[in-house]
Formats: sequence, C-alpha cells, structure tokens
Amino acid sequence: MKYANILSAALVVAALSACDLKVTNPGPLQDDQLDTPGAMPGLVNGMSGDLSQAIGNFLVDNSVMTDELKHSGNYAGPNEYAVGIIRPEDVDGDYSNMQQARWVAEDGLRRMQRVLGAGFETNTDTPRAYLYAGFANRLLGENSCQAVIDGGPAESDSVYFQRAESLFTRANTLATALGQTDVATAALGGRASVRADLGNWSGAVTDAALVPDNFEYDAIFSTNTSRENNDLAYETHQRREVSVYGTQWAATDADPRTPWDTVFTGSGSVQKGQDGATPFFRQEKYVSLGDNVPLTKGAEMLLLRAEDALRNSSIPNMTTFINQSRAVYGMAAVAQPANTADAWTLLQHERGAVVWLEARRLWDLRRWYAEGTNTFLNGRDKCVPFGSSELGSNPHLH
Amino acid sequence: MKLMAIRRWYAAALVLLAVPAALAAQQPTGTVSGSVVEAGTGRPLAGAQVSIPATRQGALVGADGKFLIPRVTIGNATVRAQMIGYEPVNKTVTVMADGVVEVSFELKRTAIALSSVVVTATGEERTREIGTAVSTIGPASIANAPVVNVQQILTGRTTGATVIANSGQPGAGGTIRLRGINSISQGNSPLIYVDGVRMYNGSTGTSVIGRQNVLPLNDIDASQIDHVEVIKGPAATTLYGTEASGGVIQIFTKRGMAGRPQYHFEIGQGFNFMGHVGPKSDPTGLFMNDCAGIHTNGVGTTFEDPSCPASGTWLRDGPVQRYAADVRGGSADQSYYLGANYNEQKGVLQMGGNRDGTLRGNFSFRPATGLEFGLSSQFTGRHVDWVADGNSANGALINISRGANSNFTSGVGCDPSVNVCLDNGELFDATSFTRESHFITGLTTKYDAEGPLSAHLNIGYDYLDMKLESMYPFGFSRQPLGQIWVTPRNRTLVTTDFAANWKQPFGDEWNTTTSVGGQMFDSRVEDQDLESDFFAGPGQPILTSGAQRLINDATNQRVINAGFFVQEVVGWRDRLFLTGAVRVDGNSAFGSSFGLQTYPKLSGSYVMSDESWWHVPHIETFKLRAAMGESGKAPGAFDAVRTWDPVAAQNGQPAFTPSQVGNPDLGPERTRETEGGFDMSALDGRLGVSATYYQQHTFDALIPVEQPPSNGFTNRQLENVGRLNNTGAELSLDGELLSLRNVTWSGHLNYTWNKSEAGDLGGQTITIEDLSRTYVKQGYPVPSYFGLQVTNPDALAAPTIINDGYLGATYPDRIISPSTTLRLWNAVELNAIGEWQLGGHLLNAVGYQNARYNIWQPCYTAQDAMRAGDVSSITALQQMKCTITSSQRDYAYWVEPSDFFKLRSVTITYDIPAKYARGMHNASISLAGQNLWTSTRYTGTDPEVADIRTSSFSRRDYYVFPTFRTFTATLRFGF
Repeated sequence: MKYANILSAALVVAALSACDLKVTNPGPLQDDQLDTPGAMPGLVNGMSGDLSQAIGNFLVDNSVMTDELKHSGNYAGPNEYAVGIIRPEDVDGDYSNMQQARWVAEDGLRRMQRVLGAGFETNTDTPRAYLYAGFANRLLGENSCQAVIDGGPAESDSVYFQRAESLFTRANTLATALGQTDVATAALGGRASVRADLGNWSGAVTDAALVPDNFEYDAIFSTNTSRENNDLAYETHQRREVSVYGTQWAATDADPRTPWDTVFTGSGSVQKGQDGATPFFRQEKYVSLGDNVPLTKGAEMLLLRAEDALRNSSIPNMTTFINQSRAVYGMAAVAQPANTADAWTLLQHERGAVVWLEARRLWDLRRWYAEGTNTFLNGRDKCVPFGSSELGSNPHLH
Repeated sequence: MKLMAIRRWYAAALVLLAVPAALAAQQPTGTVSGSVVEAGTGRPLAGAQVSIPATRQGALVGADGKFLIPRVTIGNATVRAQMIGYEPVNKTVTVMADGVVEVSFELKRTAIALSSVVVTATGEERTREIGTAVSTIGPASIANAPVVNVQQILTGRTTGATVIANSGQPGAGGTIRLRGINSISQGNSPLIYVDGVRMYNGSTGTSVIGRQNVLPLNDIDASQIDHVEVIKGPAATTLYGTEASGGVIQIFTKRGMAGRPQYHFEIGQGFNFMGHVGPKSDPTGLFMNDCAGIHTNGVGTTFEDPSCPASGTWLRDGPVQRYAADVRGGSADQSYYLGANYNEQKGVLQMGGNRDGTLRGNFSFRPATGLEFGLSSQFTGRHVDWVADGNSANGALINISRGANSNFTSGVGCDPSVNVCLDNGELFDATSFTRESHFITGLTTKYDAEGPLSAHLNIGYDYLDMKLESMYPFGFSRQPLGQIWVTPRNRTLVTTDFAANWKQPFGDEWNTTTSVGGQMFDSRVEDQDLESDFFAGPGQPILTSGAQRLINDATNQRVINAGFFVQEVVGWRDRLFLTGAVRVDGNSAFGSSFGLQTYPKLSGSYVMSDESWWHVPHIETFKLRAAMGESGKAPGAFDAVRTWDPVAAQNGQPAFTPSQVGNPDLGPERTRETEGGFDMSALDGRLGVSATYYQQHTFDALIPVEQPPSNGFTNRQLENVGRLNNTGAELSLDGELLSLRNVTWSGHLNYTWNKSEAGDLGGQTITIEDLSRTYVKQGYPVPSYFGLQVTNPDALAAPTIINDGYLGATYPDRIISPSTTLRLWNAVELNAIGEWQLGGHLLNAVGYQNARYNIWQPCYTAQDAMRAGDVSSITALQQMKCTITSSQRDYAYWVEPSDFFKLRSVTITYDIPAKYARGMHNASISLAGQNLWTSTRYTGTDPEVADIRTSSFSRRDYYVFPTFRTFTATLRFGF
C-alpha cells in the first residue's frame, strides 16, 4: 500500500489520457463544410434570406425616418427616427443586417468561384447570387451616409452604387446566357435604379426601357419561419407600431399602391397605436407575415423614365410615363402639371406611392433635398450612419 | 471519454478501495449507546454525529437525543460527538464483548469549531487545515425555518452570497451569486453538488409569457437537507477546475443512522398575501388592489373594467400547503433514509402556482471497517403555472396597471361612449406552465479506515427533463386563432469523481497528506423551441392543432470536461498547515490550438491559539488563514469554431447564414483569487467572529468582442481579452447575547462587501442589453447602467443632461443580514432574519411606461405642472422622468437605487411538551411569516424583481409581479 498514492495518480492520469474530449455537436455548420458544390444552392438561398431580413427589418424604421408612416408605437429606435434622429446605436441592427447581406452575397460569390471553378459561370445559381449582391449594395447605397467594405476604411456612399452596377451587369450577362429571363430583367431594373442613383440618367433610362411594365421581382418573405417574416406586417397587423395617420397617404384610401384601413376598437372608436395616442390607420400593403417586398418593378422603371423626362424639362413626357405607371395599377390618368414645381410634387408623390414601404424613400428624399425639390429632411438626419458595432470594431474608423 | 475507459477506471478504483478493507479481521464486539444534548439547556441535539474515529463507525443522534453504535471492537475506544455550531467532545469508553456501554455528551455552542470537517474535492478535511473561508449552514438553521428550497436557505444565512428573488410568481427561481461577478459571458452561477454528485446549474429556459424560469437547485427540498456548505471563490474551488470560478454550493442530504426506524412528519398550511402593489401614493395599487368602478388617469380619461372580480380586486390570498415525511434507521453496517414531500402554493392572482414533490432514498452499506458504499437517489416532479408577466403584451401587470391603455379594450358591460371599457379578465385565459422531472442519483464508494489511505469514488447521474408550454386559446382577442409554444428541454450530466489521500506522519510534529484525484463531467443539452399558430377551432390544442407549425430553434450539444489534481498538505504540530495543489483540465469547448489548462493553488492555516504563548484574554480560539488559487470558466460548445447557422429562406428553402466568426485560440477565462482572514472564538464560546478579505482578478476573460458587420459576422466573438476585478470582505459575527436557565438569546450578523470592477476590456464597451441601459465599461462595476443622466436631479431648474452618464451598479455591493434566536423556557423559540441589500440599482420600466401613458400616480403633480407650463416647483429629474414630451423620454432616467431592507422571515416555534405528545419523541408547531416588511426608496413595485427572459445578466423591472408575503403554520412530529 505504500505505493497507493503513486498508483492512484497513475490511475487518474491513465483515465484522463483515455479521454477523448472531442465531441460532435450537430447543429451549426463549420465553415469548411460549405466548400462543396452541393452546398451552393443553400448558400445562394442564404443570400436571399439575408437580403430579405435586412429589408424586412428595416421597413418599419425606414418608414418613420421618412414621410411614409407616422410613429405610433413604443420602440425606442423608431421614437427617435420619427423626429429625425438616427443614432449609430439605435440603427446598429439595421446597418449590421444590410452589411451582412452584402458580405454574404459577395463572399458567397468568391466561395462559389473557388468551389465550382470552371463551372462557376454556368452554374444556375450564379446569376441569382450576383443579383442579390447587387441589391444588397443598392440597399446600403440608398440608405447609408458612407460606405465601408469588409472592415476597410470609410469611403463615399457611391461606392455601393458602383459595386451594384457592376454586379447587376454580371447578373444580367450570366442570366441572359442561361436563359433566366426574370433574373436578367431584375438585373436590368436594379442597374437602372443604381445608374440613376449615380446620376447616369441616360444609362438608367436605357435599362428601364427594357423592363416590362408589369414586371416585378421580389425579396421573398414567408410564414415558414419567424426569420422569414415580413416585420412590417407583424408590427402593423399584430402590433400597432406605425400608422398611416397623419401622412400624405392618408389623404386617400383609394390608391391601390398605398392601401390602408382604419382600425376600430370593439366599442367602435378608432383604435390607438401602441403609444396609446396616435389613431391607428393600418397599412394593408403587407397583410401577411409572408408578403413579399418588391426589389424592382416595371412601374418604378416608368417613374425613372418620368423623372428623367422632368430633368430634361419635358413635363408632357413625364406625365405620359406617370400615367403609364398608374395604368399598371388600373388607376386613372392624371392631368399634366402646369409648371415644374407642380411636376416635381406630382412625380415625388407618384414615385413615393409606387415604392411605398419598400425601403427606398430615404434615398429619394435625400437626393431631392440635395437638389432643392423636397424639404422633408430639413433639420433631420438624412441617412443611416455606420452602426455602433462597426464604429466600435473597425480599426479604420477609429 | 470512451465508456470502457470509465469502466476500467471504476473497476480499478474499486479494487484499490476494497482490498485493504477486506483484510480487516473479524473481532469480538460490543455496543456504545447514549445521548447528546446541548450544554446548558439540556435540549436533545437531533442530527448530531457520534463516531469512533479509529474505526470510522458512527451514528446519528435521534430526535430524542439518543444514539446507538453496535459492533464496536472491544477494548478502549474514543467516542466523539459533534454537530455544526457546537464544539466536538471526545470521551473514552471501554467496550466489553457483547456488552453495552453508556456515554452521555453535552455539547457547547460555538461559532468556530476547528475540529469539525467540511467536504472538499479531496474528501473530508478538518476546518483547522483549510486556508479558505467555508460557510456551513447547519441543521439548526434549517430545522424550524419557513424554507422549502435551497434558495431560501441561502438567503441571509451566509456571507458572500447574493440571492435576489426575481419575481413574485410561485416557483420562479432567483439569481444566486457567490462573491460577485467574475464572468461577463459564461454565467456566474455556482457549481452545485448534491451528496458528491454534480447537478446541472445552467439555464432552464424562461416561459414565453411568464418570462421567468425555475431553478434546478430548488429541486432539493429543504426538509431533506442536512446541511449546506458554501465554498466561495477560486482560491477555495481550484480543485474543482474549469467551470468552478463562480464558487461551489454543496448540499448534503439527510442520512440514515443506526437504530430503530425513526419517523418524522411535517404538515404546513398557510397562505400567500400580496398587500399593496406599487407606489404607496397610488390608492388603487396600480389597479391591482382596487379595480372596481370607474377610474381616471392623469389626463382625465376614465375607464372601467367590468371583468374586475366581484371582490373588487385582482388579488387573492393564495393557499399554501406543505407535507413532508421521512424515516431513517439502520444498523452498524447499513442505514437508510427515505423521504417524501409535497409542496403546493397558489399565487396571489387568479391563476399561477407551484406544485412539487420529491422522493428520496439514501442508502449506506458498510461491508468492512472503513469501507462504505452509498447510493443516494431522488426524483422531483414540479409543475409551475405562470401568469403572463413582465414584457409580455398580454401580461397581468402591464395591462391592468396601464388603465385605459390596456391592450384588452373590448370590454362589455359598461358604456364605451363615456368610459374606455376594459376586459383585463381575458388575460387570464392565456396559460403557461413549466413541468419538470428531475432525477439525481449517485453511487459513492468511500474508504477511510484506521490507516494512512483514504479514498472516494463517486459516479453520478443528473437527469432533468422539462417541458415549457405557453398558449393563447382560440378566440383570444389578441390572437384570435390562437397560438401555442412548446419547448422540450433535456439536460444530463454524468459525474465521475475520484480522489485518494495518503497521510504520512514524520516524527511527532510533522505530517503530510498527499492527494490525487480526477473528475470528468459529461454534459448534454437538448432543446427544441416549437410553435404552432392558427387553430381551426376551440379545444385544448397541441402542436399539430395549428395551421402554421414552426421549429424556431433546436439545440443538441455535448461538452466534456476532464481534469486531475495533485495536492500536498504539510502539517506541523496540528496547528500550522500549508497546502499546495495543481489542477489540470481539458475541455471539448477549448479551441483547437488550445491545450490543457493548469490551475495552481497555495494556502496556509495557522491555529495560533494552540500555541503555548497564546494568552490573549477572552479569545480561546484563533485561526489565521490565507490562500491563493485559480479556477476557470470554459467557453461554450461552439465558441471556438467558425460556424454558419442552417436557416430557411426563399420561402422555406434550405439556406445558411453566418453565425460565429470563430477563434481557434479560445481558452477558458481564469480567475485568480487571494484571500486572507481569521476565525475566532471568544468569551468562552459566546462570541464567534469570522472575517475574510479577498481580491479576485479574472484574466483572459471571455469577452464577446464586436466584429465589424462589414466582415459579415454580426454576432460578437468570444476572445480571451478582458480582465475583471473583485475586491471584497466578509464578516460573520455570532454571539450568545443572553444565557439564563429559561432564556437564551443569540444573534448573528453577516456582512458582505464586494466591489466589482471591469479592468481592461480591450478598449471596448460591452453591451449587455441596450433597452436595460446595461453595459460593462472599464473602471465600473460589472455590469452597470449607463445613459442619459440629469446632473442636477434635485434642482428646481431646467435639467442639465449628459449623454453617457454612469447611473449605478446593477448588483448590490453590500449585504447585511442580521438574525436572532430567542429561546424561552426551553420550549418556545423565536427566529427572525432580515436582510439589507445596498448599492444596487434597478431600471423601473413600469414607472417609465406608465408615466408616458399618464397613469403613474407619482408623476401626476409634475405632469399637471408641465401641462400648465409651470415647472418651477418640479425638480430637474422629475421633469425628465415625468416628461410629457415624447422625444425627451428615456429609460435611463428611471434607473433608481434598489437599496432595500426586507424582513425575510419571522418564526415562532413551540415544542409541545411530552405529556401532550405521548408516543412521540418530539412535536412542535411553528407560525412563520416571510417577506413581512420591506423598506426601500425604489419607486417601482419591488427592488428585487427583473424580467429575465431577455437577459439574465442585466436587470429591468418591466411589469414584473412583485414578491408577496407568506404566512404558514407548521406541525412537526416524530416517533
């Protein structure tokens, strides 16, 4: 027994050496497990999902940053946005989602090239990946004050538009080659919008003219899982966070592009928003948590052409394009405005109605404010700053 | 770990343990019997241990004070009687073959008993040898107390422990911390051991609409607990290895004893009582106390709730009942303890309550001298019905207290053209419950005969199966087609624990104890978060009842931690002890580039009062101690690797999204603690003092570091970059204030001070929860509230506001717990325990939200003044808290000191005289009240509550139902 302590120690050490601490945990996928051709469809679906999530979660916030909806709830962030204050810490979630959507698509393209090799350009998922990368960049470009790419330094926000234009071009080229008409057309629509965003109106009009009036390409939402839900539908049909009350869209309840209704209590009075004060006029554009959000559509293309016409001082042509756009929704034609100021008012209202609640309005208001044709953003923050997490962790921004 | 390896280890260990025992020769024997009573009072000391140290034979003292040790080897034997809180006594007897020798003991109360033993990772160690502070809560503290679980036992009864209730819902678990916060990301719950078997101590999941959880620790019923040891800080927990830096709570359940069967029964009846809810200036108690008739909010809006109960209040007295029974007995070579209990209590609202029951069997078998096999098993079943609470849109307090702004505004039975007509009664149609089955079993093998070798081997299995369910029924106005969430959760934890000690004397003055051992824990977690929406019709729904069925989350994880230790204790003259040890750990969650982790320990203990030169007047016992040691916390299962989450996208198509950026160098965070203190007994045992000062430094702290979202991964990544500091002191005073023939009066005071501070955090602020305004910042307590701050709060002037002000620490830094026991005529005993918790803060979100809804009574005056445009009599802080301007509102203004004093319990117990309890060896009746009185300046409903669904680290009082009072009468008797 005198050696019992030595034996005990040996026993324990032997037992420990027999331990295999490695365990296999099902669930999350390790990064290298995605480096297989079979994972590419899931990877591209993920690009779609992240883009939808970025848009879906931003719809409410964008609507109160702009003149689309009035804040009627009690969330802290929208409370500030509604009065024109967009702080990095409040908007961090939206900013992060947008950046993740961009990175996932762009990094995914790099992974697809690496994994698929020569088959990359002929893979049926590749055009869609370029398309998502383009729209993710457009989302950032239309809302961000400045650009940052992959942890790099701050750059002009136009960088996003430039990247988007290139990505849409690749999407269009590859989709056309593969006969994917919808993707090719959506890429044209996306490129038209970013070309307009870059001030290349002639290029924008050229692309826009190639998009059929009734065409629409959507960011996909679903009731399948909560992550796929349209958050604006949730916040207005299961809560009362934002209201049409007090906006220009409340002036008429007959515009199919901006549908809404009045919600009443059981006792017959107008229901108040979540804040207990604001009358709750509920948007009806997105009724279900699975309602899709348009990324590009022919009606918008017509308004790009209308705006180009107005910029070229052709009010008649502008009116023609606007009425073609209204016809897409079965709406009656409007009369030609008497002057340029009225023409801008009409155009801005019409474009606002067509892209209502699609996270596009902040950019429109911002560029029109800069050009002096709209004053809504006067005294308000005009774009989304870098989120607090980017500011806190990107060494180039310190 | 391969199963075969465990088997080989266990088999070899059994051989190691059994061989020397089998060599013990059979000899003629006799019996030792007698009694053990308290010196001075003559009170039987039920539960005291009587043993023969040379042979390790022993017995427990029964309720009548008697004991019996059969089969004692003939000849002279030293018999020892001991009990926590009393000075052990040794007596020598001569045992005759087949004879019975009687011996009686009178034990004297003492706060410091250096001869008592505590259980450490190496096995039993004498208190005098240990260089760290260990708190023991003995049977005397538990016996008559109105406690039903470990959380209540710990509250106010030990230094170094912070126990916060969290909620007034029956069954809700609290928050327990030992020596503050030493981890930001890995939790701070102490490890729990029950009879040597480690028990799951992590999250049990919060109810979707009840927004509270149960605490597995509370599945050990108080009636079955003998005593609790609290081992605080890494200096003491080094040998417990990775995961032990939050301290260790060891629970020892009751054991069998030699002698005829002894039965004990306990019957308790009582009720829960709420009292006034919310600010005293609000006569309606946030409309909880008074919901009848027409009420008016701060802007004159009138409202009425026809669903208000006929009693005029939403509150009721919730019945409480409690039953416990046990039996124990045995012989010299085997003993048993069988216990059963049932607890049921209803909440103080129309629904909500807790039911739990436990069956326990503890068996010991001693086949040879010094060798003991033990099997301890328990099964607990629990069912908690929750009321929708906290930040649940259909919660009770959130809707009722908001008056006209309730979400339930479709009431009928009143005139909607005159008043807002409410239907808050509907909120009670929502149901939510947590149901658990908890099985713990442990097989222990212990060898400790007269000789240098002692050892133990414990194999334990902890199985916790839970189901959480919340449901809005079909027809619920806020979810007309209904909705159900079901969360099955399963936890298993397998413990394998071996230690061997070799004691070796060197001459008359020196001795050493060499210990080696190892532990392995295999922890598995399996969860699903399931949802079903849109039922086709009424009825009791299940997951397939809904048209939309969702799997929101699923977890299936396994973590293995294994380690071994070596310890050497060198003793000199049985008064000076130096201990050196090292623990080596591996963990499956460490990064691929990370190897084994080593934790050292060094401690010393010096019983100065044993020295011949010790002549300090009135101080008969004085032990000086100091220790330095390290322990750690492992990262989570997936924290080290770059991962992607499988999700659905593109309308239900398979997809991936970035999850964790990964860190192959990830290792555990390490906490190093240095502590020093003394234990002292003075005035002939009438005064006991125990004092400890400690410093903790957590280095390589696992900090969730922000990643640039432009790099794609938006989740924070754990990195070993931070440093946290804790400095604290603990003082325990135990005094016998009066000792007369018919009156004894004792007092006890626990004082705990812990200063927490975030050291280097790699230059970043850690966001715990923005909505709670809770962050970790360098140089401030962990965590703290930060945000908009009025710098001239009491001025009758325009508020001066800074953006990122320090608003206060989240957790209290001082806890003072006085308690007293008064015993009269050896028959009546009065116990009272109070507790101050000071230095903490709490975000009163009820005040924030109700003020913006113009229904926070304390703001009425200020809001009237602001509406009138005259703020000359309103303080700057009130102007911001009660502001009527939407853009000025902020939660930060509602962060308030949460200092409080609570009278935790008062108990009066009457021992029924034997002439009225014939045939019984004891009988008593107790009347008890809990949470009887609260003093606080916090303006919310309760300074202890928090909605823990969003975060269990930050604290926000977001319409959480406050704690209530409980009154019980308990009859205890045994025969």
